[in-house]
Amino acid sequence: MNRSVDVAIVGAGPAGICAAIETARRGARVLVIDENHTPGGQLFKQIHKFFGSARHRAGVRGIEIGRELVDSAVKAGAEFLTDSAALGVFPGPRLAVNVGNEEAIAVSAKRILLATGATENAVSFPGWTLPGVMGAGAAQTMLNVNRVLPGNRILMIGSGNVGLVVSYQLLQGGAAVLAVIEAAPRVGGYAVHANKIARAGVEILTSHVVTEARGVDRVTSAQVAKVDDRWTPIKGTEREFEVDAICIATGLNAMTELARMAGCRIVHLRELGGYTPWHDRRMCTSLPEIYVAGDAAGVEEASSAMEKGRIAGISILEDLGFIAPCDAQTERDDLWKSLEALRQGPFGNTVRRGYDRLFGDESRCSSCTSAHRGEDFMVGSAPRKAPGYPSDTRLAKGPVAVIECTQEIPCNPCESACARHAITVGDPITSLPRLDEDKCNGCGRCIAYCSGLAIITIDAAYSDTEALMGFPYEFLPCPNKGDEVSLVDRLGKPIARGRVMRVTKPMDGTRVVYAVAPKELIHDIRGIKWQAGGESQ
Amino acid sequence: MSDSKESCLVCRCEELTEDEIRQAIREGCTTLTAIKRRTRAGMGLCQGRTCQRLILAILAQETGQDVAELVPDTSRFPVRPIRAELVGDLRDGEDS
Amino acid sequence: MRVPDHPILGSAPAAEKVVIEVDGRKIEAIRGEPIAAALMANGILVNRYTAKRREPRGVFCGIGRCTDCMMIVNGIPNTRTCITAVEEGMVIQTQRGKGDVR
Repeated sequence: MNRSVDVAIVGAGPAGICAAIETARRGARVLVIDENHTPGGQLFKQIHKFFGSARHRAGVRGIEIGRELVDSAVKAGAEFLTDSAALGVFPGPRLAVNVGNEEAIAVSAKRILLATGATENAVSFPGWTLPGVMGAGAAQTMLNVNRVLPGNRILMIGSGNVGLVVSYQLLQGGAAVLAVIEAAPRVGGYAVHANKIARAGVEILTSHVVTEARGVDRVTSAQVAKVDDRWTPIKGTEREFEVDAICIATGLNAMTELARMAGCRIVHLRELGGYTPWHDRRMCTSLPEIYVAGDAAGVEEASSAMEKGRIAGISILEDLGFIAPCDAQTERDDLWKSLEALRQGPFGNTVRRGYDRLFGDESRCSSCTSAHRGEDFMVGSAPRKAPGYPSDTRLAKGPVAVIECTQEIPCNPCESACARHAITVGDPITSLPRLDEDKCNGCGRCIAYCSGLAIITIDAAYSDTEALMGFPYEFLPCPNKGDEVSLVDRLGKPIARGRVMRVTKPMDGTRVVYAVAPKELIHDIRGIKWQAGGESQ
Repeated sequence: MSDSKESCLVCRCEELTEDEIRQAIREGCTTLTAIKRRTRAGMGLCQGRTCQRLILAILAQETGQDVAELVPDTSRFPVRPIRAELVGDLRDGEDS
Repeated sequence: MRVPDHPILGSAPAAEKVVIEVDGRKIEAIRGEPIAAALMANGILVNRYTAKRREPRGVFCGIGRCTDCMMIVNGIPNTRTCITAVEEGMVIQTQRGKGDVR
């Protein structure tokens, strides 16, 4: 049955849904079309806690954010058409849609929003077609949606946030992640994500590539080698890994099929993932009836996608007369401020440069004032210069929090975690969290709030020779009071053993395990290892 | 399966190696469309979704251009699979 | 390998099992899960062999775009198993080469 609506949105991910909420709640007839069975886009397989700020649902797990957004959109009056793939854009404008493989319909709309997201890049290497070699997204879907582990001994190619986060999720699923292979000389993603897996013993090999995957009917081994500054493998540096799966996480690029088909102007911006539909600050493409939002408008992440979706929604409402132009501009200005806040810090540099080029603001200074994310951060480095790292005097007094978050990323749930306001992030939200050691009483509440799992507590007054340390723990099995666990350093190396004195109930999936540690090692012990829980080998 | 990097597959669907793609470029196929017509790269069931980016990188390298200067492939209806018998449902001029 | 207990997802909900046939062998699956997941859970990673080089392929993109996971399902070839749900009594075969147009 053909349809006619005000706004047709292709893609029910964070961008599409946020646009749906904006437009539907102001009275527009909105239809959101998605080829998947469940709306939510990539959110429905993200089981980790999100970053950003409260308005971006920081600290909430992706799957929950997805559910909340869909609920809000439905309440606002938006309609969802799932299991339905958009096939093409035609003059009208109209969308051709394959509804559940049962019917093909035309959807007429006054405005079309393409919020189709991004697709994974591939890298080729000998043996990459063997079963068991798959995209990181495929592994994530198999595990987090279908509860099926794609392998037990896994190599991850790519150290961007996707590679790091999926590696962690594979560990949570019970697999061993032998190493993360990164061709560049630096880790690509957030330090806190890298540290989480480094603590679990996963080796992160920068300046390395997979030279070959071997096997007969499935992958059974991989050869990895170091590369020189021309990305050529160096003879003699080869290492063999026995694996049964290799995941590829080498970046994303915008899905532009519908935009291209419609005739939208496409530009190539490396900083945004490659080919991207040209668009203005209202999120309108070169065709006045077609808008873009989310990763389809430039690869970033979920928080930015939500804002881009809202901007598109506001602009569409303005076009259709649902809100006045001055009101639209006010709301857009506010949303742009939020987007720019998310893009502060070294990680936002690249994206900011991309958008500056897109909008023709090339004269705008895109340099950042803080250190490059890579120079400042070495996996497993000991950042005692974290602002507010407790002094020896304070440590001797009793329990206190230690926040090892020394990279500017847009994230601030820790600030609202503390009842005594001992943690401040402030503005912009990429600022490093600062601990006030006098206000902090070491209660440990912030441990489970930190999306990066970067907070622990140390009670150096526990005894003359021992400290009681509290660690976030998100693996199974979980140790019990009385069990003896391995205490590991930042690279997952066991350096002591300790008895578990207390295990908290999970707070939204995160437990805190308190173990007794030798006092002289409190600056080095950063995690626990218990049986097969979270181990890399 | 001990291939070198050059003889490993680039187009998974049509089973074309990097060597074959480079050969086509050297023989004069200097656009994505030309490579496609000569080799069938990008014509398989995934319609270039996996290989297009890889081929563009090879093309850029072989011709000394920046990837940004190359033109992506044309995107045509339908961009997702649809049973042939349903296509007839989409008639011009029909409104709900 | 299935993950019955997960630190974040919790315990697997009670699921309705179905029996499907894969290359003549009966295996247990969970109603509604993608065929590729059921096969992977049972250790089956090869979905098809290619036309030219007769090489094995399995799940690659996992979202229905690369077509490497295709198998013959209830007689219909080129069925993307990563996005097709299992049903009781489904007959699945490893596809060799291109499908036959019926």
